[in-house]
Amino acid sequence: MAREEYEMKVGFAADQKTVKIKIPDGDLKPWDLDTKFETVGTDVDRIDGIAKATGTAKYTFDVNLPGMLQGVMLRSNIPSGRVKKIDFEAASKMPGVRAIVPLKDPAEGRRNRVRWVGDPIAAVAADRREQALDAIEKIVVEYETSQAVIDMQDGEDAPKLEGGEITSPWPDKGNERMEEALGECKHTRSGTWFAEVQTHSALESHGHVCSWDDDKGTLEVWASTQATFGARFGLARALNIGGDKVTIHAEYVGGGFGAKFSPGTEGVACALLTREAKAPVKLMLDRFEEHTCAGNRPSALMQIRAGIDADNTITAWDYRCYGGPGYRGRGGRTTFPRSYLEDAHVRATQKDIATNTDAGRAMRAPGWPQGYFAGEGMIDALAEAAGIDPLEFRLHNESEKLREAEWRMGAEKFDWAKRWQPYGERDYGKRYLKGAGMASAMWGQMGHRGRGSPNAVKVRIHADGTVESRNGAQDIGTGMKTVLAMLTAEELQIPVGTIKVTMGDTNDPAGPASGGSTTTPSLAPAARLAAGMAKNELRTLVAEHLRVEEDKVTVENGRWGVPGGKTLLFEEACKLIGPQPIEKVGERTSNYKGYKNNVCGCQFAEVEVDTRTGFVRVTEMLGIQDCGTVIAKKLAESQVLGAMIGALSYTLHEQRIMDPKSGRMLNGDLMMYKIAGAADMPKLTAHMFPVANGKNSVGAAGLGEPPSVAGPAAIANAVANAIGAPVRNIPITPDQVLAAIDSKKGGK
Amino acid sequence: MRPFQLVRPDNLAEASRRAKGDKSLIKAGGIDVLDRLKERLENPEKLVNILDLKTDLSDIARDGATLRIGALSTLAQLANAGELEKSEWHAIRDAAGKTATPQVRNRATAGGNLLQLTRCWYRRSSSLGCAHGGDGPDCLAQTGENRYHAVMGGIDCFRVHPSNLAPALIALDASVRVRNDKDERTLTMLELYPEEPYADEAEHTLVSGEILTEILVPAQPAGSRSAYRDSREKESFDWPTTSAAVRMSIDSGKITDARICLGAVAPNPVFVPDAAALLIGKAPSDELFAKVAAKAYEGAEPLEKNQYKVRLGQATLIDTLEAAAAR
Repeated sequence: MAREEYEMKVGFAADQKTVKIKIPDGDLKPWDLDTKFETVGTDVDRIDGIAKATGTAKYTFDVNLPGMLQGVMLRSNIPSGRVKKIDFEAASKMPGVRAIVPLKDPAEGRRNRVRWVGDPIAAVAADRREQALDAIEKIVVEYETSQAVIDMQDGEDAPKLEGGEITSPWPDKGNERMEEALGECKHTRSGTWFAEVQTHSALESHGHVCSWDDDKGTLEVWASTQATFGARFGLARALNIGGDKVTIHAEYVGGGFGAKFSPGTEGVACALLTREAKAPVKLMLDRFEEHTCAGNRPSALMQIRAGIDADNTITAWDYRCYGGPGYRGRGGRTTFPRSYLEDAHVRATQKDIATNTDAGRAMRAPGWPQGYFAGEGMIDALAEAAGIDPLEFRLHNESEKLREAEWRMGAEKFDWAKRWQPYGERDYGKRYLKGAGMASAMWGQMGHRGRGSPNAVKVRIHADGTVESRNGAQDIGTGMKTVLAMLTAEELQIPVGTIKVTMGDTNDPAGPASGGSTTTPSLAPAARLAAGMAKNELRTLVAEHLRVEEDKVTVENGRWGVPGGKTLLFEEACKLIGPQPIEKVGERTSNYKGYKNNVCGCQFAEVEVDTRTGFVRVTEMLGIQDCGTVIAKKLAESQVLGAMIGALSYTLHEQRIMDPKSGRMLNGDLMMYKIAGAADMPKLTAHMFPVANGKNSVGAAGLGEPPSVAGPAAIANAVANAIGAPVRNIPITPDQVLAAIDSKKGGK
Repeated sequence: MRPFQLVRPDNLAEASRRAKGDKSLIKAGGIDVLDRLKERLENPEKLVNILDLKTDLSDIARDGATLRIGALSTLAQLANAGELEKSEWHAIRDAAGKTATPQVRNRATAGGNLLQLTRCWYRRSSSLGCAHGGDGPDCLAQTGENRYHAVMGGIDCFRVHPSNLAPALIALDASVRVRNDKDERTLTMLELYPEEPYADEAEHTLVSGEILTEILVPAQPAGSRSAYRDSREKESFDWPTTSAAVRMSIDSGKITDARICLGAVAPNPVFVPDAAALLIGKAPSDELFAKVAAKAYEGAEPLEKNQYKVRLGQATLIDTLEAAAAR
């Protein structure tokens, strides 16, 4: 492929570089530090905000088709064992029942295992939901039960814990060298941290509306999904039909947070039911199922021992983590901050402990908030050992230039010097103690071309001046549609409001699963390219119309034509288009070399602790976040604000509470599963830190995950700063705060 | 929920008649009852919707020295009632205003708040049979996950009474009017709750067909002021981990009279006259309040995971005493 070479200015104000990049033929000249934008980087309201706020946006839950049946699943009530027999006789005779599909096979070893309370046994479709619920009560299941492990501490591979500290020996591998590095330190610290299981709790539960056309042999699906193309693939395979026979719609998705990548057993069940009943079926999980059968952020038991040299540089770091990812026994890996550890001897050990509980799934920065909670907690402990301010300690050990700039910006905006309480004893006679904490973030997602058919965006310009931007992937609520609209507007120099964006239909060009913060960086360059190609096409029409050479036609101040000569407004130019609109598909190219491959970020928190009740109130949070080119500033800030709210909820409230005997989740609702609400909100501020990363024609980087990494650690560090003692269990509940204060008092 | 017949009575007598028998359930605001129906915890044949009688039962008005609160008054009404701004009754405002969310407060009724089912997660699970629901032999919380359960007063069931209003009304020495299709009777707030809250006792002492119609709050002794406070894990929509209501009279700097009731720590609201007695004749002070709090929780027997509630309950009571004294 022919490649054009450009010189680009990348980086940010304090760290500028000029790089030469070669781009594929036909791709647009990349935006860089010198680019002046019209629309990109401004505050534009979410284009579907009104539709969402007024209820005209239709989610999967809102889809109702003529003759539609209601699907319900029967789930295991035991945590461990086998299904010996299932009898559907009585259930099949219940009023309104139209189809039953078994989801376990007693005769088959792999398909009769019961792994947690909630394991799917069968699904029923009936005319009404209550009839389906009545029917599943009549399904007779004979179980053979076996010993279950509910708490990961009861697992075979669980480490020994004494007084909250892991006391099992450190692994042999590399231990001698590790001990040596620790031995050379001037100060060492160690500690054990634990983070409880958090459930995704998306407002819209998992589920589908599936409609089988028996004549055509096709399946039409409305899905609450983070991966429309993955859903098509999964459901086609489940029904053993061609991918061309399945269409997925996901125009609006009520949140996913990482738990909605595959159609899941509930999606397969819904598809099987509609085919069997020959009628559309809606099957949405109820709230208890959503908590117990749709994934979670795994728990993590972490221990770190680390040390610094006489220069306060971290020189040794030994990390081990026991993950609690549920019945699959994998997926509990955690990640700790490494940007402070350039001069350290580092060892990391990971082990997962299986339990008879729902399996963990990806959740917004999977494994990062847990690992950073422990890691940044250790950074604060080392700073205290060094006797220097945590900010100064971080700046000293920081290896990321970009974050260094962000630390400085954040510390100034947050007024860190005033809010952080110096080391020393706390006055527990005071009712309220305030404290401040900080933590770093890291992520690396610059988007990708896609496998098979490349990620692509289709732009149409109609003769009436209507512009469409279309992609088949989903907007899970991040504001992807607005991003596509803004990029199209930028390229065509027209107002954002004139662009109609359609997403979430698998008949449109391919797009990624929304995971790993990929959607924006993968689709943004394609959106820009498609708009650019359409613009060129329109320019050709204008040139023909004005009888000038094509390369003489420019677009300036919304006017198309020859500067100083005859020009047309966009609407006038569009009139040159006939009945067939201009239609261009921009395909995502591979990434360029660019500035750097990761994003950074940092967050600050201030808390006020009631020393009498142990109640923690977060009074303020501030996030500094880069994500390459900031396309939709308002929505980017919203991502950061939302992540900080999520962090507050995770750090202080959320926890899956299991009954140790039955293996059933006890707070599987939104009453006792505690999620922070409006009255718990602190003052929240987000500052975007624009960076020209030069990784693609837009320079976009993923933003979904990075702002959710630092928050829990920042809040936990603030609590420790306030009361002069760390609470190393998430959620930090009032009883633990009181216990920490007591231990400190007792230690005097 | 399973199908049921919705009864919309024209008057209380009819409501009471239709509500008799174990196949009927009375619904007021429906905050608690609809949850129970949807979770199939209860499957009545008849649901008697007394909310239809709201116009007759939702006044908050003075009748001489007494305050009469219609049982169908909403918590939002109570939280904003001008009549309750008077400091002696302020505990009612405090309690109603801190309950749940604005949406719930606009719907939930005073009567429903007093008569609701415990929020114990074992009792409220349709598939875990416990002694309180009658589907099992044991209290599952006693040896299970009991961080929010009773630290006192448990016999064979360690549920906690969830009402915010009840401790406030007990501290104010209130009573309730109750009627069936023929008769009417008055119960003190303490009589509304079982003397010995065994697992097989309901949360309240009303018998089938009886409807709570009115709450009567008497005039308080001269110089009275009252307050309600609770501890919780978050500010928005949470259940108290402990709560307390206090009424005290202060004359020339000395406490002359006091009533204290604890909430969320036992199967019933806990009236603690012995602790209140320590206040009499003394001037409010930190030491005094700490002593009273210790007395109120004397003999508490926490379970494995709720020891913290004893300390927290004392802190909450001290908070409440301070708030009342400061009014």
